[in-house]
Amino acid sequence: MVRFGLCRPECICSNEVPTDMSIIDASPESPTASTEATAAASPDSGTLFGSGDHKAIGLVYVVLSLVFGAGALVAFLLGNLHLVQTGFLSSSAATTLLNASELAFVLLVAIPLFIGLATYITPLQVGANTIAFPRAAALALWTWILSSGLFIIANCLDGGIGGGRDRAVDLGLLALVGLIMALLLATICVVTTVITLRSPGMGLDRVPMFSWSMFVAGSVWLLTLPVVLANVLLIYVDHHYGMPSEFGVSSVQGLQIGWLVSQPQVYAFAIPVFGIAADLIPTFSGRRQPNRSAMLIAIAAFGVLSIGAYAQPYFFPEVRDQIVWAAMSVLIILPVLAMLGGWAALLRGGRPALKSPLGLSLASVVLVLLAVLVGALATISPLELRETPNVTIGQLVLIVAAVLAAGAAGISYWAPKFSGRFATEAPGVLNILVLLGGGVLAGLPLVILGFATRFTGLDSASDALHYVALAGDALIAAGAVLAVLTLASSFRGEAAGSDAWGTGQTLEWMCSSPPAPGDFAELITVTSAEPLLDAAAGSQEA
Amino acid sequence: MAAHALPAAPPVQRPRVLVVGTAFASAAAIMTFVGLIGIYLTQRAAIIGAGDIWLPKGSTIPLQQPNTMLFTLLMSVVTMQWAVHAIANNDRTNAYLALAVTIFFGFASVVLTWYLYGLVKLDISANSQSVLIYTITGLHLMLLVVAMLFIALMAFRALAGSFDARQHDGITAAAVFWYAMVLVYVLIWITIYVTK
Repeated sequence: MVRFGLCRPECICSNEVPTDMSIIDASPESPTASTEATAAASPDSGTLFGSGDHKAIGLVYVVLSLVFGAGALVAFLLGNLHLVQTGFLSSSAATTLLNASELAFVLLVAIPLFIGLATYITPLQVGANTIAFPRAAALALWTWILSSGLFIIANCLDGGIGGGRDRAVDLGLLALVGLIMALLLATICVVTTVITLRSPGMGLDRVPMFSWSMFVAGSVWLLTLPVVLANVLLIYVDHHYGMPSEFGVSSVQGLQIGWLVSQPQVYAFAIPVFGIAADLIPTFSGRRQPNRSAMLIAIAAFGVLSIGAYAQPYFFPEVRDQIVWAAMSVLIILPVLAMLGGWAALLRGGRPALKSPLGLSLASVVLVLLAVLVGALATISPLELRETPNVTIGQLVLIVAAVLAAGAAGISYWAPKFSGRFATEAPGVLNILVLLGGGVLAGLPLVILGFATRFTGLDSASDALHYVALAGDALIAAGAVLAVLTLASSFRGEAAGSDAWGTGQTLEWMCSSPPAPGDFAELITVTSAEPLLDAAAGSQEA
Repeated sequence: MAAHALPAAPPVQRPRVLVVGTAFASAAAIMTFVGLIGIYLTQRAAIIGAGDIWLPKGSTIPLQQPNTMLFTLLMSVVTMQWAVHAIANNDRTNAYLALAVTIFFGFASVVLTWYLYGLVKLDISANSQSVLIYTITGLHLMLLVVAMLFIALMAFRALAGSFDARQHDGITAAAVFWYAMVLVYVLIWITIYVTK
């Protein structure tokens, strides 16, 4: 009897190439000697930088995006504090902080966090020994880091979107071009990995859910980020070479790219939230996901309904009055509800292990659900929610909290693959409360303020609601820090075996923890979407 | 009786990573132009709808050079496909020749665009129409040069002995990106040069 009941007995990590069948027959639950040995081979400072190894690249993305997340939320908090403590900052400084933080939420936090997780995990999930184009992935990482630095410097020099210092604005715009190009390149690497480097037998319908969600998200990003690149190029050319005549005028720069952080486009940055949940929940339930194809379709439908490059109110002022925009905003609730139904059936039928990744993941899904419900409310014309930016900002904050919660869930869940050890539960459990509470406190008061145009009595509560939202922003920033601590704690936690949770279903749990260089020695042939459950069933029959 | 061993099974065929990756990059490049051209058409419709004319008075864009570029690039599609077909048949001489001719056509298009810039009377600092036209055509020019470098790199690799009938992903990938750039030019030709 071979180890995992798959078509090929050689389906193990490259550092576990068997010399005899006794190794192949080792129990997946018990960490092998080689696993222990590779725990010391985790990416260290010597290999982390300048590497084309997808694990080192992914880890740098994850850590930096969380650090940037905490920083962006502090900047967002300070910018919003100006609204209730007038004189705390100059108006231009507050505007710079708000514009910079909103762009950073997308380009420095949400996309890079998921790109980082995907760069690390996706090759393991599809049974590949590398990411596609590893040198391009490294180039993307360093371009992103350099552009992030330039973006921060430009904003410090009053060169953000709509800033007042011309040369610094040019620098800031070029930094945005660099950020978008880097993220597009990194996305191409991830998506190409999912398409071309899958194990034999792994059709697209058998791709693990996180990889599938990254394929969907990557496709949407590849279709929409180039459009914002087009906007930024027009602003740059007009600002740098022109008088400026229209696009580069300071007061309208932000309006042209505002669609990036508005619905439906803002939902596109939350697509992998569902992939992480869809991988986690079956693992902790110990059961196969029923109606898996429906879940795949639901994630894809969510992705399609989040394409928002067409909805640019600056160029098409009437776009939010059109039926397409309204229909997309309402219909996007359906795939979320479908997925929640699927997970409810799964959790009700089994005895889920109540671990912090599960709680974080469910919290992230709830936050996305809140965001899409708010978006659907905005389609109701008499409520006049579209006329206020508060609702858009509230949705953005909910999505940021959801992204950080999903990222924290992924970090806790895949910590054994990052470090060879389990993350400590305490920061993860605390983070459920912090991020769920932070997201609700930061987002919903702004949505309530959105009703102020309809119900004038709300104006008197404006300051109080803003203070509540500020407290929520601070909590979300703390959540980003807690996620970093969770990752750090995993390097001192309890040692984990290859199938760390004991109920892993997908191929990354066949690899040692952490994976050795090369990940898998040979191609693995799979016969279902849950190859490890097949193996367990085969072992029991034997 | 001599024992005859069966030949070893062929290795598992991995899908074409470079071709797929280039296809995604090409899609992203096309979407950049879709975004730019969308804004161009919207701005143009708004100005014409207000009873004004799109190109400012005194500005002119001749059609002769854009037409010549169009046919040059369409011919380059034929030569690029000739290169792919030749290398797929292990006909290296024809592949080298076709790649060289494709690069030559690309170079001719770059020169024509540069020449056109000298003919049109558009001041980039004067109005938004000029900004749009120079951004769209300038970005295309830049990506056309990138595509030529891609083809040249693959041509040098072919000269160094890479690629054969079984494995010629590099040349196919370069062809995919080249076709995308030609497609973009067709869009530019219709929206900017013909319907000006």
